[in-house]
Amino acid sequence: MRIFPENASSYGANIDFIFWLITGVITVASIIVIFLILYPLLTKNKKRTKKEMYVKGIGFKDLKLIYLGIFILAVADFYFLYREMPYWTKIEESLPKKDLHVIIMGRQWLWEFTYPGPDGKLYTDDDVKSINQLYLPVNKVVHMDIQSYDVIHAVFIPNARFKQDALPGRNITRWVKMTKTGKFPLTCAEICGIGHANMKATVTVLSEKDFEKQLAKLYKK
Amino acid sequence: MNTHKKHGFWHRFFFSLDHKDIGFQYMLTIFLMVSIGGFFAYVFRMHLAYPDMKVPLFGLVTNKDYNMLITNHGLIMMMWLALGMLLAVAGNFLIPIMIGTDDMAFPKLNKISYWFFLISVILMIASFFMKRGGFGGGWTMYPPLSVGDFGYNTPYKSFADRFFTANTFVLLAITFEFISLLMGGINFFVTTLNKRAKGMTLTRMPMTVWMINIASVLFMFSVGPLIAGAFMLLLDINVGTGFYDAYRGGDPLLWEHLFWFFGHPEVYVILLPPLGFLADIISNNSRKPLYGYRFILNLTLIAAILSMMVWAHHQFVSGIDPRAATIFSIFTIIISLPFAGIILAYIATIWKGNLRLSLPMKWALGSVTLFTLIGGFTGLYLGAAVFDIYAHNTSFVVAHFHYTLFPTVIFGSYAAFYYWFNKFTGKELNKFWGNVHFWLTFIFFNGFAFPLFLLGLAGQQRRIADYRQFEFLMQDPLPLYRKIATISAVILILSQFIFIINFFWSMKKGKKVSSENPWQSNTLEWQTSSPPPHGNFETYPVVYHGPYEYNHPDREKDFLPQNEK
Repeated sequence: MRIFPENASSYGANIDFIFWLITGVITVASIIVIFLILYPLLTKNKKRTKKEMYVKGIGFKDLKLIYLGIFILAVADFYFLYREMPYWTKIEESLPKKDLHVIIMGRQWLWEFTYPGPDGKLYTDDDVKSINQLYLPVNKVVHMDIQSYDVIHAVFIPNARFKQDALPGRNITRWVKMTKTGKFPLTCAEICGIGHANMKATVTVLSEKDFEKQLAKLYKK
Repeated sequence: MNTHKKHGFWHRFFFSLDHKDIGFQYMLTIFLMVSIGGFFAYVFRMHLAYPDMKVPLFGLVTNKDYNMLITNHGLIMMMWLALGMLLAVAGNFLIPIMIGTDDMAFPKLNKISYWFFLISVILMIASFFMKRGGFGGGWTMYPPLSVGDFGYNTPYKSFADRFFTANTFVLLAITFEFISLLMGGINFFVTTLNKRAKGMTLTRMPMTVWMINIASVLFMFSVGPLIAGAFMLLLDINVGTGFYDAYRGGDPLLWEHLFWFFGHPEVYVILLPPLGFLADIISNNSRKPLYGYRFILNLTLIAAILSMMVWAHHQFVSGIDPRAATIFSIFTIIISLPFAGIILAYIATIWKGNLRLSLPMKWALGSVTLFTLIGGFTGLYLGAAVFDIYAHNTSFVVAHFHYTLFPTVIFGSYAAFYYWFNKFTGKELNKFWGNVHFWLTFIFFNGFAFPLFLLGLAGQQRRIADYRQFEFLMQDPLPLYRKIATISAVILILSQFIFIINFFWSMKKGKKVSSENPWQSNTLEWQTSSPPPHGNFETYPVVYHGPYEYNHPDREKDFLPQNEK
């Protein structure tokens, strides 16, 4: 049994790594917290003097262990940030050089994908369209212009660990590089009306040759 | 000041100005809302596990019904249960009596605030019966979806057609509720500042009073942008303006910012009052002073300020500039630090104490454990922006916020109910059924919410009526997880009836309390008769000590009431 769906993109492993990193640290932290809560429960009947019980926690001397706890958590927190921020920059803020540029348009309730035609450019008359079927070449950097026709949708490709909201009136460019061929689901992750549940598409990742063939086939149509 | 007179039903439930009566009115109204919200949860959980079944008491659930059910479940639980129970009910019952005064500073304003709350409830329930059906745009109400009719896209014909829609009614209901909470908040704040008993300095106030006040002020600071945003949304729906219409110069992202600018501090508005109850209950049941009273207060104020700077972590992949997300990610992760400090101070309070495992203490420990270990720690995953790309809008998020809200709102409220019931009714809750209720709730809450983490990690997105069309979500063992979650949720909801029956039965026929101060507590509400008369005290109390002087070395007994020299 696996926890995540199969990873099929170049940056999916980075995201999974952050998950396991945080899981590892908080497992240790949880064991400590469980001990801290269980110990007083197990020793509650011990005879204790009033002086032992009457502690109020005023000033740094009393609170130093709590400050230490906060400090340890702060170190862990900043370590997470230190590890995850480069990935965020890589995935969301930067755009590597593209091999292909497509448009993903969400509308109630289907996905419309547009590829450049024979001239190799998007937003021209010979653009090629497909509905609910996204074809991508393997091991190529694909730029995606994510748009919406009516309400807010969200492109979610679990196997690529990719998600981005599609907003009406706005063009958001993100990138993905698929590393495995095969068919993967693409779903909508933002509620968009009564047909939200039916808004699914398939991402078919093909080898470069097959992809060219498929594009030519779509163009003929 | 004691005008002890028996009043009739009409007086008690409609016209009384006594803060306890108004609190009770709020409570009954909220019980009604929770029953509706809980029923909705039962229907859509059943539908998720058994999609073809006619759900008993409801029938077949269509996609439209499903969207309406999840939306209104969220709205009712967030706005009416959480805010209402923790600000209005707790504030009304506890603030005047804990600071040692006879009533609120403005009893009539208090009464009006309840009437506005009642109007909001009526509007909310009316919204389910509109011609175009209930509101189905998600509880966050993102436009442009929330402007139209959720996908039918039948054009509006007249103003009446636009006005009598669920969209309008839900927005009006929220408006009325917020007016009510603002009036309540002003009342709490003024009462706390001006009507404290002699000797009750600010740092001798019980934590509950502090926390409800901080929460009320935080609510007042953050609610403004939402009201502006909701007004624009109301205009978009009813007059046809285009504030959120991208094709007419508006921007749907504007709503997300305005909504979450309120929506995130609201989470802390909800979290703080239960932290106050927990402080009182944990200190009382550990027979030790609260560890680091001022320290906890300072951390709470820091957290309250930080909570206004993290709102965009709900929007990491919503189309905001990714560089901005980094800043919000840092603040989000930092806000874990003050709460870690508060929780550690609570643990220091129980450390080496002679704990009494009374029912309120069980709820309190359950709350601390679940909130810290699962609710709090899973926040770190989502605060790390890069993992949120994957987890955003999946069941992982649903599980996370149920693990933060349920232990605080529900466990915290139950801790308060089991603790203060004796005081306000003069009767005792049945202990055996109380224990049954606690263990059933504790076990089946986990049984319901934990599988959602695993489903979310498998890539299950939220708010989907029927998962069968997604092959990758139907692989074993995912349908089994969904069934475990559903069965647990149903048992969880059913076990709340134990409490409801116990509550009303004990109020009528329960055992009379053996003493005025059964928990041997220090705070002022226990130093008057149970139930307290109209006016709360025979004579105004004078305060000499802080609220948590347990096991004081100079005293024979292990507690020292605040009004005892």
